[in-house]
Amino acid sequence: MVASIGNLALWLSLIFSILQIYVSKKGKLKVISVIVNGLLISSLGSFIILMYLHIVSDFSILNVFENSHTTKPLLYKISGVWGNHEGSMLLWILVLTIFNYFIFKLYNKNNSLLISKTLKVQSLITTGFIVFTIFTSNPFKKMIVEQENGLGFNPILQDPALAIHPPLLYIGYVGLSAAFSFSVATLNLNNKENIAWYTYMKPFVLVAWAFLTIGIAIGALWAYYELGWGGWWFWDPVENASFMPWLLATALLHSLIIVEKRKSLQAWVLLLALLAFLLSVIGTFLVRSGILTSVHTFALDPSRGIYILIFTAILGGYSLLLFGKKSKNYFDKNYFNFFSKEGSILINNILMTIVCATVFLGTVYPLIIEAFTNNKISVGEPYFNATVVPIMLPAILVMGVGPLLAWNRNKKSEILKKILPSVLLTGIMSLIIVSIYKSFSLIGTLGVILAFWIISNNIVILIKKRKNFSTGMLVSHLGVGFLILGITASSVWQEEKITKLKTNSSTEINRYSIFFKDINEVVGSNYVALKGNFVVYDKEKKIVTELTPENRYYPVTNIYTTEASIHSNIFRDLYIVLGTGNKSEGWVLKIYHNPLVIWIWIGAIVIFIGGTISIFKNLEKLKKI
Amino acid sequence: MQKKIPIFPLIVFFFILSVFFYLLIVDRNPSELPSNLINKNIPTFEAKSLISGKKFISTKEFKGETILVNFFATWCKPCRDEHDFLKKISDKKKVKIIGINYKDSSKKTVIWLKNLGNPYSDVLVDKKGRIAIEWGVYGIPETFVVNSNGIIKYRHVGAITGKIYKKISLIIDKNE
Repeated sequence: MVASIGNLALWLSLIFSILQIYVSKKGKLKVISVIVNGLLISSLGSFIILMYLHIVSDFSILNVFENSHTTKPLLYKISGVWGNHEGSMLLWILVLTIFNYFIFKLYNKNNSLLISKTLKVQSLITTGFIVFTIFTSNPFKKMIVEQENGLGFNPILQDPALAIHPPLLYIGYVGLSAAFSFSVATLNLNNKENIAWYTYMKPFVLVAWAFLTIGIAIGALWAYYELGWGGWWFWDPVENASFMPWLLATALLHSLIIVEKRKSLQAWVLLLALLAFLLSVIGTFLVRSGILTSVHTFALDPSRGIYILIFTAILGGYSLLLFGKKSKNYFDKNYFNFFSKEGSILINNILMTIVCATVFLGTVYPLIIEAFTNNKISVGEPYFNATVVPIMLPAILVMGVGPLLAWNRNKKSEILKKILPSVLLTGIMSLIIVSIYKSFSLIGTLGVILAFWIISNNIVILIKKRKNFSTGMLVSHLGVGFLILGITASSVWQEEKITKLKTNSSTEINRYSIFFKDINEVVGSNYVALKGNFVVYDKEKKIVTELTPENRYYPVTNIYTTEASIHSNIFRDLYIVLGTGNKSEGWVLKIYHNPLVIWIWIGAIVIFIGGTISIFKNLEKLKKI
Repeated sequence: MQKKIPIFPLIVFFFILSVFFYLLIVDRNPSELPSNLINKNIPTFEAKSLISGKKFISTKEFKGETILVNFFATWCKPCRDEHDFLKKISDKKKVKIIGINYKDSSKKTVIWLKNLGNPYSDVLVDKKGRIAIEWGVYGIPETFVVNSNGIIKYRHVGAITGKIYKKISLIIDKNE
């Protein structure tokens, strides 16, 4: 019964969405308003009903049966709604309609043409996703025979970070759909209206970018403590699928500033907006069609793959053809000096796009090779590290200088004067860090110098409170500095020790001695586990912390997981994973000493805060036009 | 020049989509992983036989006939699923199947084979997973077809299904 209402709500949102396609252009404001609100309410309704079905464990519903179990904690019953393919599509639709609502909220007399066209494109996208969900992935499908209990939910996904990871990421992806819609609408206007389309597009891009950043970071954090490999990024195709739109969103965000200030690069920005969303959809395709093997792969179903592919072809074919035909209206001849803010942003753009293309090539290259030669190859971490890192280095360097350059007019001697305090600060901090780790690897030293360069630059300006700088930008850039520091230190100076240890004996890593006290069986809410107790001492024999890694067994899904135990402070993480073993021979242990890892997560949060500050500032700007 | 640029993204886009489309409709299996060992000699190894208790030396045994090598364990559910296909292969195709018992208890394995039937000509103990590492095993079950010259002709990751059964049969026929 309840499920039928959910299904009805889903169909209702399809009707509203189709209506919006027809009405948005010529309809009266009141009619459009009813439809936009109706769409939002109906999609919210179907989502809440699915959530309700998961909470009450209604196993007459296939989706609940396949992904839930009565013993599952409430939080994961809720997050289980979007932890599976069908439910996550419902969340996609909900976020799409929320953005649709906010686009409508911008509607006024002066921009009616742009907004109505944007709404039309947005409703086309929404319709595509609702049709896909209803016909290939309906979460309200009923079971033929009602079951007593569900199959359970993959235990490694039962985690607070992973509970919020998908919604954050979807806000990011779908935020880019708004940029896409604005871009198509703008191209359709032929540049005759003289309307500030970029000012409307920017807050959406900011939201998308900020949420993508934090969403990716939380995914990485989860991989770090849950997968027990000591690392946090594996160049998995699905990680790449989120990284690529992020890179383009970064480029898009920065070039929107140029458009705003100089009316330059307009065609380029319109193209970036199209590509960023298309890459998000292609990413979805790669994950859900089963075309690639990945740790993230959802249930495989070729018919879904074909549908998403056709949908992507329509979206991409239409928008890129439109771009080919109309973009000449947006070519401009407002040139600018290379040694200026615009110049540095342009370099940032080029480099981000190259990184994106490089990652894309690495991700799809095995597929292209397979299609043409029938050979299977795999492209992995060595490729990505060897190609992405060197391209990112100059981008980071430019990032440190760019914001200091005044718009378009700069003498080179002036630039030098401005950066002197940061140069000094960078030198001192880098010397300290490099001398602590006594390691002089080129990439490591370079990375640390660049990180402190950015950190000191932004702190100097923030303290001086120069008026012509955006606080949001400074804070975000500061966050990027922290991020680079954490990434560099944890990847270059990581220490790993794999050893076999009996109870009542100890081993050493870095300057710590780790004592294996005992190992016990423990019983959790829906698992049983072996739990090791380790005491960590420092050089002075003082207790630093106790670590308790676990090996868990979840009987419902018949899955074993390892729970790493981590002790973090601002200098380093100590990370222990319990392996196999027994009383007489001892247990296999993997121990990591990861310097400065915490700065990755701090960096991501700081970037997000900076992004949020900018979002509010840009919304203020919108009110003025 | 400037006129040509705007259409360039469209061309690239459709090129990539057509690759995806081709791969979707073509009969392929993403879990058929690339292996550096295809068309190469099998890695040499020694192991204890679970059945005879004697030492098994690979260089002596892989000669003169097509042999299937199957990595399995009693704790692995897909291994149970593919067991019937293994029996079918050993009955109908009359090829030797060497089972490599990956990180498992020998006691449980004996009971398991008693209950489900034994398709293997020999079962080798790989308690520490060393043999699996030598063969580049990705996850069990995993199956290799080795021809009469001791050269690996095919690798399949995951349980054998009806489709894979047919494919393996074809490869066996071709190599005989």
